[in-house]
Amino acid sequence: MTELRTASMSPPWEGLEGRDRYAACLVAARSGDRRALDVLVAELTPLVWHVARGNGLDRSTAEDVVQTVWLALLRHLDRLTEPRALVGWLITTTRREANRTRRRGTTNVELPPELAEQLPGGDGLPEPEVLRDERDRQLWAAFHRLPQRCQELLRMTVLAGRVEYRAVAEAMHMPHGSIGPTRGRCLSSLRSLYDGEAGR
Amino acid sequence: MKTQHHSAEDDAMMAKVARLVNELDPPPAGLIERAQFAIAIDDIDVEAARWADARPLAGVRSGAPGTITFFVGDLTVMVNVTRTGERHRIDGWLVPAGEHGVEVRVADHGSTETTADEGGRFVLTEVPRGTTQILVRMKADRPRTVVTPTVVL
Repeated sequence: MTELRTASMSPPWEGLEGRDRYAACLVAARSGDRRALDVLVAELTPLVWHVARGNGLDRSTAEDVVQTVWLALLRHLDRLTEPRALVGWLITTTRREANRTRRRGTTNVELPPELAEQLPGGDGLPEPEVLRDERDRQLWAAFHRLPQRCQELLRMTVLAGRVEYRAVAEAMHMPHGSIGPTRGRCLSSLRSLYDGEAGR
Repeated sequence: MKTQHHSAEDDAMMAKVARLVNELDPPPAGLIERAQFAIAIDDIDVEAARWADARPLAGVRSGAPGTITFFVGDLTVMVNVTRTGERHRIDGWLVPAGEHGVEVRVADHGSTETTADEGGRFVLTEVPRGTTQILVRMKADRPRTVVTPTVVL
């Protein structure tokens, strides 16, 4: 009896991983469990963030897009027909929102110089002093010269383990089996760019 | 010209990329908490408003942002923020005009509500500083609720 009680009190996603965990959270969220939404936001915000950044948004715009995507999920809670496809839905929604935002985001506001200096560059490169190591700086610069699709794919690969390849493939409209080879080509391009940066 | 796979080389490169991405471009501190706050609202069927301009200031860095404009569909939300001591005064203007409900939520400070006048204007004084979100409940044939992303005021 005690076991039963414990089981009924622990959240339904406890002990689950990956898409099963997210699906359980989604189902619980639909029935009004706010903790379930908080779990999803906590665990999947890094993914949404990197998809937004991989689609060419600067950090502050990406931050807004992350929130917009979670608000969109709130609205679509009952409309997601396949809870296990949540990750794919998040990737697709983030890409769409990022593209929409980027198309619109060319009207720049005139800023006083002291404020403009604090802004990150349009290319999203971090403050140079962060990159103390010259090789890191060259690699990071090379990374940002990759085609956007490569940047996005590599960022999502970094999150592998938390993100299923299958969801990534579906969201990027790629056959499942081509993710590996594409990643390989992206890494080759990165090596070439890096060697170029380093003047080797 | 290398055509075959060099998977050990790939793995090494991938590890470097992973380190750089994680060290140099992690989600901003507090983003998860701000996103959790943004969706901790009673209304489920909400439309997310977007910034009308390339943002002059990042949410977490903004001190006195002045005028901020959001929009979604045909609704535009324009707010002017003035600091009054430790608090803020928010002057807002909604287009299309109407006596829409306005709620300003500030993390850890509850929320303040008012109603816009016929011209779509509203004023909120003594708004606490912090992670802030604006909700507009549109009075229209088809009632809608519009929410903004959070901004640190």
